[in-house]
Amino acid sequence: MKPAGRRCLDGRVVGAVLLVLGALGIREARRLSLLRESLVAGAIVGDDTFPMMVGAALLVLGGYLLLAPPPPSTRVAWPSGPLRRRMLTSAATLIAYWLLVPWLGYTAGTGIASTALYRGMGGYRWPVAVLLGALSTGILYLVFRVWLLEPLPIGLLGA
Amino acid sequence: MDVLGHLAGGFAAALTPTNLLMAFVGSLLGTLVGVLPGLGPTAAIAILFPLTSVLNPAAAIIMLSGIYYGAMYGGSTTAILLNIPGEVASVPTCLDGYPMAQQGRGGVALGIAAIGSFVAGTFGVLVLTFFAPALADQALRFGPPEYFGLMLLAFTVVVSLSGASLARGLAMAMAGYLLALIGLGPATAEPRFIFGFQPLMSGVDLIPLVVGLFAVSEVFLGLEEARVAIAQKIHDVFPRWADLKEAMPAILRGTGIGFILGLLPGCAPGVTVFLAYDAEKKLARRPERFGRGAIEGVAAPESANNATSSAGFIPLLALGIPASAPLALLLGGLTVYGLQPGPLLFQKNPQFVWTIIASLYIGNVILLILNLPLVGMWVWLTRVPFGILGPAILLLSFVGAYSVRNSMLDVAVSLVFGFLGYWLRKYQWPLAPLLLAFILGPLLENNLIQSLSMSGGSPLIFVHRGLSLALIVGAVVLLATSLIIVRYTSRRVREATAEEMAL
Repeated sequence: MKPAGRRCLDGRVVGAVLLVLGALGIREARRLSLLRESLVAGAIVGDDTFPMMVGAALLVLGGYLLLAPPPPSTRVAWPSGPLRRRMLTSAATLIAYWLLVPWLGYTAGTGIASTALYRGMGGYRWPVAVLLGALSTGILYLVFRVWLLEPLPIGLLGA
Repeated sequence: MDVLGHLAGGFAAALTPTNLLMAFVGSLLGTLVGVLPGLGPTAAIAILFPLTSVLNPAAAIIMLSGIYYGAMYGGSTTAILLNIPGEVASVPTCLDGYPMAQQGRGGVALGIAAIGSFVAGTFGVLVLTFFAPALADQALRFGPPEYFGLMLLAFTVVVSLSGASLARGLAMAMAGYLLALIGLGPATAEPRFIFGFQPLMSGVDLIPLVVGLFAVSEVFLGLEEARVAIAQKIHDVFPRWADLKEAMPAILRGTGIGFILGLLPGCAPGVTVFLAYDAEKKLARRPERFGRGAIEGVAAPESANNATSSAGFIPLLALGIPASAPLALLLGGLTVYGLQPGPLLFQKNPQFVWTIIASLYIGNVILLILNLPLVGMWVWLTRVPFGILGPAILLLSFVGAYSVRNSMLDVAVSLVFGFLGYWLRKYQWPLAPLLLAFILGPLLENNLIQSLSMSGGSPLIFVHRGLSLALIVGAVVLLATSLIIVRYTSRRVREATAEEMAL
C-alpha cells in the first residue's frame, strides 16, 4: 500500500454528482408538477413537492462541495501491487457471479464464484478453495433453498 | 391493563421456545459480529434479515434486536485485546482496556465491560418499560404537521452521524432522500425517477442498499487491513470484589450519562462514550491513571455505550425515530413486517411491543452469560482467517440481497452500492445519514404532503399548531446542541486515534 495517496478530489467529484442529481430531481419535479396540474385541478401539493425540495437542496450542497476547499486531512492511500490485484479480482468475480447466475443457476454459479473468491481473496490453493467453495455452496443451498424455500435462480442448466 | 400486566404478558410470549431461541441466536450472532472485525451490526442485520422471513414478526425483531445488542457487547473484545475499535463507540474503551490487557488484566477488563453493559442495558430497558408507553400515549395526539416536526427532530440524528463534516453528512442524507423517491409517488402512484426502466417501479429496496453500503464495502476495506487474530489467552473474567467496588460508581455514572443523553435524537453512542469517559477522568482522585489501565476508563464508556443503545429503543418504539443506523434498519424491518412504527404501535400491536420489551430483558441476561464464561470461545473465534470470513460474507450478501424480492436487480444494487460505499468510506464520507434519510424519506414526504394539503399549501401550518412548533423548535435546539457535542467528540476522537471516524 502506498504510504500517502494523492490529494483527494472527492469533494469535487461528489459535488458534481450531486449537481447532476439535483438537476435531475428538479427536472423530474417539473414533469410531475405538470402532470399534477393536468390530473387534479386545484391541487397545490403532490408527488412533485418533495422531489423539488430535495433537488434544490442537492443543487445547493453540490455547489458548496464543488467550491468549498477540501478538508486538510483527507489523504487516501489506495492499495497497490498484489493487494490491488486481489481486490480487483474479487470485484470482477462478484460481477461475473451476478452475470453467470441467471445462466448457470444459483448452485453452479455459487460453486464457481465461491471457489474463485476463496482462491482470489483468501489465497488458498485450488484443492482447498474448491473444498471451501463446495462447503459454502452446500450450506447456503440447505439454508436458503431447503429451509427457507427461496426460489433461487435455476438457470439454463436447471441447477 | 397496567404496565406490569402488559410486561407479564410480554414475558409469557417472549419465553416461548421459539422467541427464546431467537433471542439466543440473535445475541450469539450479535456477539460474534461484535467480536469479529469485518461486519458491523447494521450489515449483519441486513444480511440476516432474509433468514427471519420464516419467523413471525415478533420472533424476527427479537432476533434482529439481539444482533444489535450483542454487537454492542461484543465490540469491547477487540477494543480491549487488540486496541482495535470496530466503531467509534469503542475508542474510549481502547484507551484503558488495552493497557489493562497489556498488564495481563484483559480478562478483568472484559468482565467489567460485560457487567457494565448488563447493568446499563437492564436499566435502559427498565426505563423503556415505564417511559415509552407514556410517551407513545402523548404522541397519539399527533397529526401530520406534528409528525413532520417529529421527522425533522429525527433528522438531527444526521448531525451526530456526520462525523467531522456536516456538509458531507447532509450531502449523504439528501442522496438518501433522492434514492427513497425512486418508484411510485405516494399521491398519484405516478412512477418517479425511473427514466423508462420499468424494474425500478417498485423502488430501491432497503436490504440490498444496506448490504452493499455496509457489508460488501466492509469486506473490501477488511481485505486492505492485515487483520490479526487475538493471541492472548484469557482467564479470570470474573472480576474480584475490589475491582467491582472500584468500577461500580463509574458504571452507574456511565449509565446515567449514556441514558439521559441517549434519549436525545442527536446523541449516538459514539458521542456519549467520550462524555462518560471524560466525566470519569475529571471526577477521579488520580486522573493520571487514565490511559494507563484505569478500570473506570473501561467501565464508564462501556456502560454509556449500552445505556445509549437501550435508550435508543424509547424514541424508536414510542415515536418511530431511530437514533442510529442499526436502529434505522430495525425501523425499516418493522415496516417490512407490515407494522406501523411510532405511537400507534403500542395501541395497534401491544402484544408485539411488549414481547419485544420483555425479550430485551432476556437478551441482556443471555448476553451476560455469553460474555462472561464464554469469552474464551469468542477470542478463539477471532482466529477465523479473513480469507474465509470475507468470501463467506460476500456470498451471504449476494443471496441475502437476492432473496428479499427474488430479484437479480437487487443484487446489482447491492454490488453497485458496495463499490460506491467502499470509495465513499475510503474518503471518510459518512454512510449512516444516507441510510437514515432513505428510511425516513417516505414518512417525511407523506406527512409534508398531508400537512400542506390540510393548510391549502401554506407552510405556516407547522408554526400555527403548538405541538408542531414545539417539535420544530426542539429540532433546532437539538441541532445546535448536537453540533457542539459532535465537534467536541470529533476533536476527542482525533486526539485518541489521530484520525477521523464516523460517529
